[in-house]
Amino acid sequence: MAEAMRASVAQLLKGIDRYNPENLATLERYVEMQVKENTYDLEASLAVLKLYQFNPSYFQTQITSLILLKALTNLPHTDFILCKCLIDTAKLEEEQLKGVIKIADMLEMCQFKDFWDYVREEEDLISGVLGFEDSIRKFICHVVSATFQTVEKSYLQEVLGGINDLQINQWISKYGWSVQANGVVFVNAQDDNIKTKNIREKITFDSVAAIMATSR
Amino acid sequence: MWSDDVYEPDFDQSYGTGYDYESHTGDPQQDLEYERQYHSSSFIVPEVIKNFLLKFQGHILDQNLYEIQDAYENGFTQLTESFFKTSPWPEADSIAPIIAKEDPIFMILYRELHFRHIYARVPSGPSLDQRFESYYNYCNLFNYILSSEGPVPLELPNQWLWDIIDEFIYQFQSFSIYRCKLGKKSESELEILKQNPKIWNVHSVLNVLHSLVEKSNINKQLEVYTSGGDPDSVAGEFGQQSLYKMLGYFSLVGLLRLHSLLGDYYQALKVLENIDFNKQNLYSRVPACQITTFYYVGFAYMMMRRYQDAIRTFSNILLYIQRTKNMFLSNKPQIYDQISKVNDKMYTLLSICLTLHPMRIDESVHSQLREKCADKMLRMQKGDINEFEQSFSFACPKFLSPVPPNYESLGANYHKEPFNLQLRVFLDEVGQQILVPTIRSYLKLYTTLPVYKLAAFMDVNEDVLKTQLMCFKHKMKNVVWTKGTSGLDGEFQSASEVDFYIDKDMIHVADTKVARRYGDFYIRQIHKFDEVSQLGFFWASNGRFNGLRNRTNSVSNKRG
Repeated sequence: MAEAMRASVAQLLKGIDRYNPENLATLERYVEMQVKENTYDLEASLAVLKLYQFNPSYFQTQITSLILLKALTNLPHTDFILCKCLIDTAKLEEEQLKGVIKIADMLEMCQFKDFWDYVREEEDLISGVLGFEDSIRKFICHVVSATFQTVEKSYLQEVLGGINDLQINQWISKYGWSVQANGVVFVNAQDDNIKTKNIREKITFDSVAAIMATSR
Repeated sequence: MWSDDVYEPDFDQSYGTGYDYESHTGDPQQDLEYERQYHSSSFIVPEVIKNFLLKFQGHILDQNLYEIQDAYENGFTQLTESFFKTSPWPEADSIAPIIAKEDPIFMILYRELHFRHIYARVPSGPSLDQRFESYYNYCNLFNYILSSEGPVPLELPNQWLWDIIDEFIYQFQSFSIYRCKLGKKSESELEILKQNPKIWNVHSVLNVLHSLVEKSNINKQLEVYTSGGDPDSVAGEFGQQSLYKMLGYFSLVGLLRLHSLLGDYYQALKVLENIDFNKQNLYSRVPACQITTFYYVGFAYMMMRRYQDAIRTFSNILLYIQRTKNMFLSNKPQIYDQISKVNDKMYTLLSICLTLHPMRIDESVHSQLREKCADKMLRMQKGDINEFEQSFSFACPKFLSPVPPNYESLGANYHKEPFNLQLRVFLDEVGQQILVPTIRSYLKLYTTLPVYKLAAFMDVNEDVLKTQLMCFKHKMKNVVWTKGTSGLDGEFQSASEVDFYIDKDMIHVADTKVARRYGDFYIRQIHKFDEVSQLGFFWASNGRFNGLRNRTNSVSNKRG
């Protein structure tokens, strides 16, 4: 459904029509659809926030909260920041949005254990968003694979939200990582990519020739 | 856009002495008419102004672009300096009898200059009436251009066309801020504002810009141009005319600016997606437009945490300014001031980006940066949030609210809300990565370092440290533009100076070592040597010291 709507919504957002508040209801429905069907369309989200910005009386906290949560599912991209820049400071102080901003802060600072503790406690916050937790796990795996060459399996389990052995093995194989002896997971051969760089100056003949020519 | 600070008169103070609305009809249009008649008879237009305007009109009628440009850039500026330094040019109605024959287009263009000059030079700033009148004048101008059945027979210099779009948005911005400063407005002023919600409405402004973009087919033209084709083949009847083509292009930049002022950085970059601004193009010959484009693009990148792209954007344009500075200084002193303002802003933004994402940049830009911002950068590197805040406030655009305030409940700082929001988002981001510079400074000292040891340096336990290290990695991995014209595209890269990875309990550090550069040094010496031998020549001939100085400048520019 949501996928089918993508094209027609894209049409709605062309040119000056994207500022037409009459489209708001359709766009809001589209946001809810994305939440239920685990699809994502940043541009439509931003269009909704833009319409709220131009017509503050239409503002809906619930929809905004869903948009922000969906933006988090696209981490490590900075969609969340793009959305935040369009929401009034006063609105950002509303309880529900404060909660979302709090988990965004934790994720941005990679405090994954705190994040899982928090969302376990405040289940309602994310419960409606299909596939939210797995999207976040993808982001966590992205950070882990950038940071570690090897990491303890138990640590990995913890940052991924205390998942069980079966699940952790699925994530490990999904990313092509491998389990070594004594519960250590080999993530990436980082030493290939992360090397000390030496930058030496290269002076080409042409550049020297030009100077020699001018200062004869 | 760089006129933000210069031209922000204090309306609140000046306004009290304005008109007394009680005695008027309540209809602003009618009142304007009245004011105009009242003023027009009292001003006698000096002969030299008359002559200038007559010639100016003649050039526009003849469509002599060279002469129009001269009158616009030099004639008008010089007369402003001698006659209207801080007072307005004559009202349009008092010059109507002077000009050769009835010429509504010239009158519209003259009004545009007249109002722009009031915004820029008259200390009391524009009155509410003048803001409204200027708005209507823009409507007339754009209606004339857009509603005509065929292309209108008018060509104007590119600089002027850019100034029109730039000023149109500036006046919208100025009005939005003015309308939110409720503090000292009188009842009647508020009443007028309330009754005229359509004037300087964000939708009207967007509509104008979008219409110009569409009328000119500029997006298609750019697409074809980028792929090496002939833009005229898709330009259509209107878009082939220089007037429409250039207004279309400038409107894209106008939209970039407008979206940025509203905090919509995604749209800001998206409107430019057909412009390849990593290479020179035939549309980019107006320096002010070029600089505006790069300033807003760089700023949007910075807000999107695409520091590498922001740094590249700022360095490119700063280098360009460095190279062309002397040209502006001698040829166009009137815009030099504006350029040097935005130049300082961009150095400040660059210092922010380089603090958050240290990397190598062009030598000559870097040495300028050290000269201008070394102290600031040092404070930011130490994690001084205040310094981040001050630098941001100094260098950011003037954000604005697209909607009128609630005139009933007077929030004194309402006009600051949009700025506060962007500042908050920026500081939240800085706050999240505030430890990164500290970690980096430790990592720089080692090639390998046990996790527990760094944890002890940072005074945290190992688990917290791992969190901080992951945060370091996450924040240093930016989306970076690699190819294509869309500035939004890109892939994740980390090109920061210091990188690392964790293997078991050990942190392995990869530093960037830069060998000393000799080429630059030798080139400088060669030039100096060259000059010394020239110096002998100069002294021997006529001791022209100025000649020598100019030469030094041009040499260092060539090199930079």
